[in-house]
Amino acid sequence: MSDHAAAHEAPTSTGIDHKKLIMWLFLASDCMFFGTLISTHLLYRKLFPAGFTDAEGHQRFIQDLFSIELTSFSTFILLMSSFLMALAVSAMHKGQLKSFRRNVLGVIIFGLIFLGCQVFEFTHFYHKGLTIQNSVLGSTFYVLTGTHGTHVAIGVLWLILLYFYSFTGKLGGHMGALDVEVAGLYWHFVDIVWIIIFTAVYLVEYLGPYGIWGSGLPAVVK
Amino acid sequence: MSSSHEAAPSKAFLAEEVRRYHHFIVLALWLAVVTGAEIVLIYLPLPTAVIFTVLTLMSAGKFFAVILWFMHLIYDKRLLFWCFLAGLVLAFATYAALLCLFSADRIDTRWFA
Repeated sequence: MSDHAAAHEAPTSTGIDHKKLIMWLFLASDCMFFGTLISTHLLYRKLFPAGFTDAEGHQRFIQDLFSIELTSFSTFILLMSSFLMALAVSAMHKGQLKSFRRNVLGVIIFGLIFLGCQVFEFTHFYHKGLTIQNSVLGSTFYVLTGTHGTHVAIGVLWLILLYFYSFTGKLGGHMGALDVEVAGLYWHFVDIVWIIIFTAVYLVEYLGPYGIWGSGLPAVVK
Repeated sequence: MSSSHEAAPSKAFLAEEVRRYHHFIVLALWLAVVTGAEIVLIYLPLPTAVIFTVLTLMSAGKFFAVILWFMHLIYDKRLLFWCFLAGLVLAFATYAALLCLFSADRIDTRWFA
């Protein structure tokens, strides 16, 4: 623990603010939740490497659907939103409310852009024939990325509430900074989950001509 | 969301915040560069196993960089780190257990088709 943390030790038995401790415990449990979803997706990609069959009955590969440019853009947006969130928390610690508002507004806008990209991606995939019902790939992909998107949407809503709350004059001092820090922890968690999803779900599909799971495909499908 | 025990931030506290601010900027740049490198990497004519390993390491690096600096774990009490690590270990254990239970080499996937 740094001197900085020691100087602001909470008057609790652990020395950690209860709100912060509870948020970390929640994030640990959410880690298990996403761990299960990511595991399920990866496992079924291993078991069913062939992708899905569209409405016309054609065998399709996931690589035909993915747009690495779009996904990279949304990844970059989410990473930068995390950066702005860190600045917003720092501003609150320093008592700079205007700077906090500016940064948190940036996070909200970036979060909305990310959600917009996801809606576009889902719509595109749906029109190309990948639905939540027609394949195991569709089920695991939409459930995993949809759950993550829901987390982002909740985060955006939370930050919008904090943004407007800051105008009431009640968001200040140590407790105000703690409230923002807890919201920031949630937002950063959403970001780190996407870091894993970006690699485990998207990037690995570009390894080799049929993705990393393509080695399990029968020759006739290839 | 009340302001119960208010105190003006000390000079040392503010100096530390300024130092962190610079860390955040460097980290944000580093994250952007690593993400760009990941995208370039998948197009390089290298063995799949090598690319996969490097991608995994890069992803893990980004993951821990965010939790350590942006989420302040490096500055906070160790207990928080262990709490989070417990969840992380269980998540990976879940994947490992599922992989062992449903090994593609031993399962008849026609059951699910």
